Formats: sequence, C-alpha cells, structure tokens
Amino acid sequence: MSDMIAISSPKGSHLSRIWVIALHAFTQLVRMKVFYFLAVFAVIAIASNFFDLPQHEGPESVGVNVLRSIKSWSLGTMTLFSMVLSIVATALLLPKDVEDRTLYTILAKPVPRFDYLAGKLLGVILLVFVSLALMDVLMTAVLHIRTSIVLEQQLAMAQAQSWPQDAIQSLRQETALHGPSWSLQGAVFAVFLRASIMASLSLLISTFSTSTLFTTIVSFMVYFIGHFQADARDAYLQAGHAGEGMIGRILSLLMSLVLPDFQNFNVIDAVIEGQTMPMLILAKMTLVGLYYAVFYTIASWYVFAEKEF
Amino acid sequence: MNQTTPAVEIKNLVKDFKTSFRNQTLRAVDDVSIRIMPGEVYGLIGPNGSGKSTTMKALLGLVVPTSGQCAIFGMDSLKVDSRNDVGFLPENPYFYKHLSGAETLRFYGKLCGLKGKVLEARVSELLALVDLEGARDRRLGGYSKGMLQRIGLAQALVQEPRLVILDEPTAGVDPVGSRQIRDLILKLKERGITVFLCSHLLEQVQEVCDQVGIVFRGKMVKEGRLDDLIAIEDQTEIVLKDASPELIAQITALVANSAGTTLLHTGKPRTTLERLFLRETTPTDPS
Repeated sequence: MSDMIAISSPKGSHLSRIWVIALHAFTQLVRMKVFYFLAVFAVIAIASNFFDLPQHEGPESVGVNVLRSIKSWSLGTMTLFSMVLSIVATALLLPKDVEDRTLYTILAKPVPRFDYLAGKLLGVILLVFVSLALMDVLMTAVLHIRTSIVLEQQLAMAQAQSWPQDAIQSLRQETALHGPSWSLQGAVFAVFLRASIMASLSLLISTFSTSTLFTTIVSFMVYFIGHFQADARDAYLQAGHAGEGMIGRILSLLMSLVLPDFQNFNVIDAVIEGQTMPMLILAKMTLVGLYYAVFYTIASWYVFAEKEF
Repeated sequence: MNQTTPAVEIKNLVKDFKTSFRNQTLRAVDDVSIRIMPGEVYGLIGPNGSGKSTTMKALLGLVVPTSGQCAIFGMDSLKVDSRNDVGFLPENPYFYKHLSGAETLRFYGKLCGLKGKVLEARVSELLALVDLEGARDRRLGGYSKGMLQRIGLAQALVQEPRLVILDEPTAGVDPVGSRQIRDLILKLKERGITVFLCSHLLEQVQEVCDQVGIVFRGKMVKEGRLDDLIAIEDQTEIVLKDASPELIAQITALVANSAGTTLLHTGKPRTTLERLFLRETTPTDPS
C-alpha cells in the first residue's frame, strides 16, 4: 500500500474528526427529510392492531394474535426501513461527495481517508439507530396499551368462566410474554446490527462502484444471500459433493467469512412468537455484527486509500 | 520553518492515467517541476486538459505521482500532515447545499481541529473577509455562483494555511464576482500567504501573479517572473496626461531626429472591457 494511507498526526484527534464527519452525514440525511418515513411506520404500527387473524386456539388466547401481529408488522417494517436507509444512504453519500467535488475539499484538509470513511459510516449507523429507537418507542407504546386491553379481556373471560386463581395467573404470565419485553428489545437490537452490517458492506461496495444504483442492487443481493447462505452451505456439505474434501469446507468457510451470514438473526421470528431471546444468542449476534462491520470497514479503507480522484 | 524552504516544490512530476479504451496510457503531466517560495503568487496557465488540475491534485495527495515528488513546506504531500498548512478551492465546487455559510465554515474548521470561541471568531472573521456576513445563516443551496466561490475560498482559509491552492477560482463567475475574488487574492498576498493559482483567464493571472508557468500537453513550456516574461526588451512606453498637441509634435520630431529609434505608435491608451463593465455596473453613491 502506498504512502497515501499513512496516517501521521494532523491537528485534532481521529475520534473528534470521525465524530464531526458522522454528525455532518447525520445532519445531511436528516435534512433530506428521511424521518418522514416515521409517519408511515406510525400508521403501520396502529393499523397492525386491526389485523386480527382468525384464530383456531381456545378462547384463552383471545387477543394474543393481535399482539403477535403488532410485533410482526412493526419488526418487519423496522427491518425494511433500516435496510433501505442503511444501504441507500451509504450508497448515496460517497458518490455524491465525489460528484460535487466536496470530497476534494475534505481530503485537502488534514483528514486521513480512514477518518472520512469511518465518519460517513458512523453517520449512517447513527441515523439508523435514532430511527429504530423512535420506532421502538412507538411499537412498545402500542404494544403496551394493547397488552393491557388483552389482559383485561382475558381476566373478564376467566372470571366469567370461574377459572381458578393459579390458572388466571398462568394465563396472565403467558400473555405478558407477548407484550413488551427485553427479548423484544433484543430483537430490535438484532435489526440494528443487521442494518449496520449492511451499511458497512454498502460502504465497501461504494468505494469501487461507479454508481449509487450498482451499490444498492449489489447490496440488496448480498442481503438476500446472507439469509440463505447458511442453509445452502449445509446442504452443499451434507450432500457429499464437498463434505469429504477439505477444499470444499475451506471454501464454504471463506464464503461465510466474506459474505454476511444472517442465520443467527432468525431469532427475531422466535421473539415474535413470544419466546425469550437467550443472552448467548444476543452476545453471538453482537460479535458477528462487529466482525462483519469491522471487516468491511477495513476492506473499504484498503480500497479507498488507493483511490485517485 | 526556514524561510528558504519552498512553499511548493514539485520535482519532475509525471502522471499517467489508464484510459478505459484498450487500457492505453495517457500522460497527463510530463516531467513538470515547479518551485514556489513563501509569499509568492504563482499562476499556472494553459489550455483545458493540459494537466493543470492533475498537477494540483498531485500536490494535494489526491492522485499519486507515477514518478517525481511533491512537497508542501518541505513535507511530502502524500502525508496527511502536509495538509495542515494548505487550503484548497477546487474548480466548480458545490459544497453541501443543506448547510448555511457559517455551518460550512464551522464544519471545515472542526475538521482542522478548531473549536469553541476560536472557531466562532474565525468563522465571523472569514465571513467578513469574503463579504458574506449578510448570508451567514442562508443555506448554500440559495447562494449564487460568485457567493459559492467566495465561501469556498473562506473554507480554504479556515485553518489559516500558509499556502492556498486555487483551481480556476473565477470559472463561471460574472466580472463583479471575479473582481472580488481577485481582490481577495491580493489581500492574501498582502498577508504573506503563498498562492498557487491555476486559470486560463490570462488577464487575471497577469494582474495578481509574481511568477507564471505555462503548461501545454502536460509539459512546462515556459516559466519565470511575470515581469521578465512579458516585458518587450527593445521597446519603451511613455504615458502622458493632458499633453498638448504641440508637445506631442515636439516629442515626435525629437524621436525622428534620433538615429536608430523608431516611433511605433502614438494614441490614447484604452481601458479594458472589464474596467468599462465594472464602471458601468457598479452603483455610484448619489451623494
């Protein structure tokens, strides 16, 4: 690698410069009015109250489907918005700076290229974090109110049918699992981690791509690959095509190291079903998220450091 | 830093680009050497595509030389440190339209490590210098071309650099805006700031530059002190005010009687079209 990436000691710290660029990218995106989508989310979160699917369970589970629907629609919308935001915003920022020549004015200051890249990425991640936090508050509020209503309905039904106290207590506990919980917050965090991975991957693609459209399309393709690559790998290895060969195993391992593997993130579906998210899974997801984000950022730097403008 | 250390030292710079057509090599800069001493204003002139912008980009580390070296105040320009002492205004910059003038300067100032009261004072000082105090809170999306160039010049100066690199600073700007930018360059010169200017507006270069280099097809074809380059050694100019026709006749007769001297031309000096434009379009004080 050439001297171009050599980081010496310009005035101001790396962290402060990264933070300045991150805040600037955040402001830039906010002023593009990206938060308008929150109104759409609010409509979806409230409308999901009325998506009461026909139920086949007993009367004791009355209303639980609605709680599941609220979580499912909310987390689905959060995934969609966070993914679109992280990919499109990242794909947009770099080419726009090059096209407008603002990149020249920034790199002509004592700003190492790594600081510029890390700042842009952090700005997008900050935007995704704030967006998800706002959506989370809205979802939790809607879910809290609806859970209280469901609990009241169930209590009235149980009392009308003269249920014993311990059975009522058990039903309340079971219903409460479908309400706001730490596992649900864990699921939102998983959505955030997945979006952060995709933002850093888009950053890498945009360092060598020539257009925003190319970066966006490739990023979405990799996102879908990330969801089925674990299954494809298992099927490939178990089918005996490469299971015996060392090369096949190494190749599949390399693929999972380079392309994101979202298998662990399937836990979000379990949380929607009211299951508790184990701490171990949460820790594993965090480590996987960090690994991919750091790996893609370093790879982006490697490409960007050699780039000429 | 020693005053004898050149502000800019480009030695035998060569820059080749690969073209997309058959991967052929295009030589954009061919063995160019430039030396600019502190406090000088240097104008690099040449037709479009002659390698002026590439030379400046190499000096800023935006492109890596194929061969040769570039240094700013003795520091290798590929090192980030060298950018502590340089401000750059690229050709036709857009900047961030969502920021106001003051926010733009704050952003660039923070990138250079300025903060707090020092930064605020610097922002106000620069807005006053480029005459944009009235537009400090207006977003850049509403700025005219001339205002954008001036805010661009202000961001280039934010960390008080000793060297300012200006790539076509008056491109697309009307004569009044162009004049303002030229006056700003002269102010920088008065402050002892080194200016490396690239333009194809020759009259402007002539007015502000001490040294000039002419590049053509990537090569430096002429370089030196402006006065030396444009002086016509065997001619002398005398400009008189309120001279009577009799005096002119006497001078003409005197020259005719002098052996070896030829009178080439007499007449009234002409103003430039630019001066005429400025005189007619600058509002006059009614009082």
